[in-house]
Amino acid sequence: MAAPSTSKAEKAYIQASLQASPPLRADGRTLLDFRTILLETGVAPLANGSARLNIGKATQEGGGGTEVLAATKLEVEDVETGDGVDGGRLVCSVTCSPSAYPHMSSIALDELQYDLTTILNQTLSHPSLHPKNLSILPGKKSWLLSLDLVVLADAGNVFDALFMAARAALWDTKVPRTRAIQYQTRRSGYASKNTDAMEVEGESNITSGFDTRDMARAAADFELPDYWDEGEVLDGRDRWPVCVTLNLLPPVHFLDATLPEEASTTIKLLLAFSFPSNTQSSLQAMRLTGSGEVVLAQMKLLMADGERYAREVFHALELKLRDEDIRRNVKARDKFTVR
Amino acid sequence: MSSRVEILNDGGYRSDGRRQYELRDVNIDLSQQGTADGCCTISHGLTQVLVTVFGPREAKMRSQTLHDRAVINVEMSVLPFSTGERRRRARADRRILELAATIKSTFEPVVQTTLYPRSQIDIFVQVLQQDGGLLHACINATTLALISAGIPMSDFVCAVSGGVHATSPLLDLTMLEENDLPHMTVAVMPRTSKVTLVALETRLHVDRFAEIFSLAGEAGQALHREMRRAVRGRTGRLVGVMETGMKQPIGGEPLERDVVMDDRMDF
Repeated sequence: MAAPSTSKAEKAYIQASLQASPPLRADGRTLLDFRTILLETGVAPLANGSARLNIGKATQEGGGGTEVLAATKLEVEDVETGDGVDGGRLVCSVTCSPSAYPHMSSIALDELQYDLTTILNQTLSHPSLHPKNLSILPGKKSWLLSLDLVVLADAGNVFDALFMAARAALWDTKVPRTRAIQYQTRRSGYASKNTDAMEVEGESNITSGFDTRDMARAAADFELPDYWDEGEVLDGRDRWPVCVTLNLLPPVHFLDATLPEEASTTIKLLLAFSFPSNTQSSLQAMRLTGSGEVVLAQMKLLMADGERYAREVFHALELKLRDEDIRRNVKARDKFTVR
Repeated sequence: MSSRVEILNDGGYRSDGRRQYELRDVNIDLSQQGTADGCCTISHGLTQVLVTVFGPREAKMRSQTLHDRAVINVEMSVLPFSTGERRRRARADRRILELAATIKSTFEPVVQTTLYPRSQIDIFVQVLQQDGGLLHACINATTLALISAGIPMSDFVCAVSGGVHATSPLLDLTMLEENDLPHMTVAVMPRTSKVTLVALETRLHVDRFAEIFSLAGEAGQALHREMRRAVRGRTGRLVGVMETGMKQPIGGEPLERDVVMDDRMDF
């Protein structure tokens, strides 16, 4: 993942300037500053929820920065015969565009993709984060929520970008409303509250080959009622975690590393925190990657720091997502009425 | 009355409100993507393709180079959420390999590969959304990406798809039309009116072929104007920025600047 060629001297130079006091970074940020993050939701019209995120795009047309595209798609799965799970399931996959890693061979790219997928999937499909409204018919049908992330360009700090994009896409996801259909005999006269009973009218003494009223069945299928919006939001919107990557260069650590900085730090600590609105924050994932060692006593401090940074990222992201919601719904509606 | 969508109604309109020979909205974005040498995002209606070009550069594998010209390497990937139904396609999918090979053979005669012996030009195609006309979107995007990478080519390559409904030819088909009609993709070089690609996967009556073929040639010219305008717009902007950067500081020494090349393009 490192820049294709960073010489020893260059690495030493970057390390020394990061450890200097005051610390210096090539783009003038302090150790805990992030680059500019750009986010847009609803970018893929064929997906149920989508987001495009860019960290560190140059202000002019210049481009650059880490760019991630995330989208969710819902599919119906059969629990009895297919490989569905009662209550639905979430599957993540990460694809890396070869243009993001132009110096990598396709085998190395596959490995990287696999690594990223594992981390995302293990964190996001954990039962503690599972959304409650992915079930259609209990024991029969459920939604498969597949979250696909694509790294279009990598300019460092790809993990934070992936988690943020994943959170934005999941936040944007709308689950279509479903209504259970039940075929029932006339005599039983029972209809549960939220199932739509389809009763066949007619005389009961007529026996016809087409009369299937005696075949009593429970909710057999579902339909998609027509409604003005695309469905209800995915449950547990506020639980999806955000990740901060602490790049450790004892005695300091810094956030949002660029590619040369990533190449010159040996050890990275990934911390994914979730901040549910009613309860305390929880640590959803932690990874220590790279070679090197960390003093155990320092870990605790790093985690406390990480939580603080993650909370800031979380709040900023939450604000932006709400803003996007308003932009796409309220403002679009206003624009429409003006026309 | 069937519930099927009418491909071409009595008023001469298609399902998306276009006339027979009307092309969809073309949107060209040539802004920089990551570390690529050239890139282009093009959208024909709802079909959207991103192409990035790297090179000419040293090949990853030495054994694949040729001693007298550059090798063009095309890799294509389709995003899993680009279609209505989610489908994961491996990079070695037959269909994708075929499309990539088609793109490669389209550009081999146009790119002046003999200028860069023992090197490689990488073309990475990402399909972001598809709604018919995938191949022609890929080819148009690749042309623009190669141009923005500054790779010498003998001409633009402008591709467009055409089909026939009953006896009336249509241009730039959507997914819905593509599923029902015989269709083909034609790539033309507008300056010389040469054709570098004709791809026909369905059966088409011989009498209709010539008609669509000449229509596609004309549509290629129209696309060429659009593409040239995008390239000129971007180049003009870059030159403008360069000039403001080169402005002579007040009272200082005049900066040495590049020799202005003859920027007149006679197409």
